[in-house]
Amino acid sequence: MENLRGLLHWRSLRWRIALLVAVACGAMALTVGLLVHRSTYERSVNDGAAKAHSVLETALGSDDPDAGGSLVHRTEEMPPDLVREARDRGEAHVLDESKRYRPQMWAARKLPGGQLVAVSVDMTPDQLSRAALDRHMWQYSLLVLAVVVPLSALAAELPNRRLRRVARTALRIEGGDLAARTGMRGRTGDEIAEISGTVDSMADSLRERLLNEQRFTADVAHELRTPLMGLVTSAELLPESEATDLVRDRVQVLRTLVEDLLEISRLDAGVEQADLRPVALADFVAEALARTGAEARLAVRGAPAVARTDPRRLDRILANLVVNAHRHGRPPVDVGVDGTTVVVRDHGPGFPDSLLTEGPQRFRTGSAERGRGHGLGLTVAAGQAQLIGASLTFHNAADGGAVATLRLPPG
Amino acid sequence: MSHTAERVGPDAAAPPAVTILLVEDDEVIRRSVAMALERYGYRVVTAEDGLTGLELFREGRHDLLLLDVMLPGLDGIGLCRRIRETGTDPILLMSARGDALDVVSGLEAGADDYVVKPVDTAVLVARIRSLLRRATFAPAAAPAATAATTAGPGRPGAIGDGSGKVDEGPRHARLVFGDLAVDTGGLEVTLSGEPVALAPTELRLLLEFAASPGIVLDRQTLLRNVWDYGWDGDTRVVDLCVQRLRKKIGAERIETVRGFGYKLRR
Repeated sequence: MENLRGLLHWRSLRWRIALLVAVACGAMALTVGLLVHRSTYERSVNDGAAKAHSVLETALGSDDPDAGGSLVHRTEEMPPDLVREARDRGEAHVLDESKRYRPQMWAARKLPGGQLVAVSVDMTPDQLSRAALDRHMWQYSLLVLAVVVPLSALAAELPNRRLRRVARTALRIEGGDLAARTGMRGRTGDEIAEISGTVDSMADSLRERLLNEQRFTADVAHELRTPLMGLVTSAELLPESEATDLVRDRVQVLRTLVEDLLEISRLDAGVEQADLRPVALADFVAEALARTGAEARLAVRGAPAVARTDPRRLDRILANLVVNAHRHGRPPVDVGVDGTTVVVRDHGPGFPDSLLTEGPQRFRTGSAERGRGHGLGLTVAAGQAQLIGASLTFHNAADGGAVATLRLPPG
Repeated sequence: MSHTAERVGPDAAAPPAVTILLVEDDEVIRRSVAMALERYGYRVVTAEDGLTGLELFREGRHDLLLLDVMLPGLDGIGLCRRIRETGTDPILLMSARGDALDVVSGLEAGADDYVVKPVDTAVLVARIRSLLRRATFAPAAAPAATAATTAGPGRPGAIGDGSGKVDEGPRHARLVFGDLAVDTGGLEVTLSGEPVALAPTELRLLLEFAASPGIVLDRQTLLRNVWDYGWDGDTRVVDLCVQRLRKKIGAERIETVRGFGYKLRR
């Protein structure tokens, strides 16, 4: 179906190429036709003149009165051009095409007495054969066009197909598939091969850059883990005091940040795999809320539903949503479970516009009124949601407050 | 976190004889983890690279090994493999990566469990206890048990808060599955009459299977009963331990039930 549409698409390069070929063929046929037409005409005039002169010669030289019968002596019967020329030069010939169906070749001579004598030869067979020639030329030109135009359209299909493949590959790259390649690099060495090669090498360098960035994030987070471990354990060894609490609190923040970064880099790298199994959603959400230690009001509507999900990742998403609601919004935080949908809402100023339009971006909390934070929690939640096949959407309630809606696939 | 540590830091509960061999190259981690574990009443012997670790292992004055994965010279995974050539001592890996590469190769090399850095002392101690329980849960601590569990001298008996399930009373039953025989009292496993040396976790897993042959056990149940993990354990631990167990007792003995778990063929 798509092939047919592509074939009939009038702006396709194929039809332009076919049109170009048709115009070129037509121009060529016209030129050749005109040349042939003219040279045939000239030859026919020359042949006719020679014939007319020899008829005149024969008639004048013969004593046979019958032969002389075809001679014309009255100048009124002769074409005026012939009379004028013959008087000037003594001898002349003129093709008389004044009568449409009976062209005649006239030959005339001025006799020593100053008297003009002329003879006419019928040129109709010549005219008919020229007309037949013209007709043949037209017919064959049209026939050739009828064959050549579709053929050239078909021939244009090959480069077209390659171009479309380049376009499709570029689209796939745009869609995030960095492994997409045209695979036509330097095969034929023409311009299409060149553009394919360029698209491929562009994808290569794009992928390389992205991988480097991911690797860098992973490496940084990773290199931070070893000193962090020393810090975590040492902080636990400190004697209890107010200062110790401060240190431990900051260590915890640092630790969360490093773990979030690592998690994002793993999600980006696409190496994570969901461990899906049926989970009784309402009970699980209640437990997950208890684990976060943050205050939230849980409301369950409808019959208890079972979702097919990865509990570890779901727990992570819920914790991040609830913590985010506390950190950037205002209590009370309401958590609603309806079927396999979980809604987390706070009563703060709502999500910033950039989040609503672009989705969560790392390290961007948007507006100042949504408070401090690293902005990684929602990015992690969105990445995890995608991994477990759930949809996570953000909007603001009509009466204020941020609303995050998580729709899980049913079990 | 600190409060938890104080609460479960039971100087009384951990017997003084439990010695942990810690192999870790980062000095701060080595010293702080050693100090933290000592607060919980463990004795800690440390090494800063794999080869020293291997030497200390050969001296055999330890009950459990706590290994870092990235070590200069012989790395944690290599060390794990060398230890498994001769011994069945409980091994806990500490990985800074936590990704498939480290975790899977570590567990394949024979580690019983892993923790990802940075780890709270409370969590680390919980993993150590669980592992020690597996290694020493033998109800009667019969001399025969040493063949199947670690052969460390001066090995203490069951650690105080041993797993209730198997400790309920010695059942000196001899279970036979084809050419595989499991003595649940003497903790001896034989394959066609030949004794099989199983690491503590492998043995514990086999006993779990042997307790309900022919019944499918899902990964969550196994994680809970063998590794003492809650709902959020890493199920790869189970899969890899099953793989190791299959190598020792025959691949066809434990059947995979896709999407559910495993069962022991009767």
